[in-house]
Amino acid sequence: MFRFFSRAWEEYKEYIILVLLLIISLVTLSLNQKPGVKKVRAIAFGTFASVTSVISDVINTAKYQSENERLREVNAELMLQVNRLREYGILNEELKGLVGLKDTFSYPLIPATIVSKSFTKSQSTITLNVGESNGVKPGMPVINDQGLVGIVHSISEDFAIARTLKNIDLKLTVKDERSRVDGIMKWNGQDLVIVDVPKTYDVEPGDRIITSELSSIVPLPVPIGVVVGLSKVETGIFNEVKVKPFVDFVRVENVFVLGVIQSKQKKDLELNFYRQD
Amino acid sequence: MKYQFIFPVFLFIPLLILQTTVIPLFAVYNAVPDLILILLVFYAISYGQIFGTVLGFGFGFLFDLITGSLLGSAMLSKTMSGFIAGYFANENKRDIYLRSYIFSLIVFLCAVVDSIVYSFFSSAELQRNFLLLFFEQGLLPGLYTSVISVIVFIFLPSRRLA
Repeated sequence: MFRFFSRAWEEYKEYIILVLLLIISLVTLSLNQKPGVKKVRAIAFGTFASVTSVISDVINTAKYQSENERLREVNAELMLQVNRLREYGILNEELKGLVGLKDTFSYPLIPATIVSKSFTKSQSTITLNVGESNGVKPGMPVINDQGLVGIVHSISEDFAIARTLKNIDLKLTVKDERSRVDGIMKWNGQDLVIVDVPKTYDVEPGDRIITSELSSIVPLPVPIGVVVGLSKVETGIFNEVKVKPFVDFVRVENVFVLGVIQSKQKKDLELNFYRQD
Repeated sequence: MKYQFIFPVFLFIPLLILQTTVIPLFAVYNAVPDLILILLVFYAISYGQIFGTVLGFGFGFLFDLITGSLLGSAMLSKTMSGFIAGYFANENKRDIYLRSYIFSLIVFLCAVVDSIVYSFFSSAELQRNFLLLFFEQGLLPGLYTSVISVIVFIFLPSRRLA
């Protein structure tokens, strides 16, 4: 028996090792959600990110000059917009007072720099130089001046990994800003698409897509992209709406983490509602 | 053999830093060259199939752990790539493989397999046409990686890294 195994090992050791390692990898795939594994990953990427943050600082410094010029221009435009919005704000406060609505639009912005990016067709992630010590928590949205970049997925003491919109594991409730039609948006490996949109719904190319208030992940309107087309589904009653994101994920460097996470109270309330059925 | 692992693991760290900081700036249609794979193929050809398989497993594990991708996906793909690259570890032809365009072809083959396996296991929900998936997630990154790998056989010193 021993001789048989010994001979088999001698003849097929490459294959035996391959199969063993593949089995270990497959088992590891199923362990991703274990708290222990998450903790080890947080320590690993935190350590690595502290190194990459130095490198990315060096790279970013070279770009700051052109970035500053662009920001000054944006700043001037924003100043004009702010003036106009201030007027609207005053009017809004008055109207809200009249109908007795509470002002809920006050969220902290945590500035962050991207220290590393991992781009694959299906799972793009970014590492930010802010973490638990800065008040960042999993589930917080990551935005920049153009719109939504992604959602914080895991954190360490000083760093955080966020899934970008180009990650198949990230699904968001979004809406058409013009027609107020809601839908679920996801990355299909090729495009950002809003899936299962009834053909009768009013969605047209050029419409701006923003996050929906129905979203439990981003419960405030943040720009996402613009509709570039509707896929031609010959059969069935649903369309697939293709969205071009506002954010250029290759070039994005500086972002803000929006200090808002899914409301536990709201979630519990909704769950209780379903449990009553 | 255990000392042979030290140098590639030391090289892995700076390459991963480069891969996650500088390389994304050179993305073409979201495809980026995989420097880790080039290193893996180089060492698999140099030291054999078992070495390549185990090294691929180690590289994949570290890659998954550090970049936040699904733990196990790169482990699988890199293990398979290391195994395939190890097929070309022939004592007599090693220098020919490492110092000619054949190296790029081997990198291309491994990169295609790596990209397809990685995307298959890390994106079970993809509902794309298989041929399209093969082109976009296999051929394009594979081609880009193999073009970059030309640098290795052009600048490979006459006394190889040991």
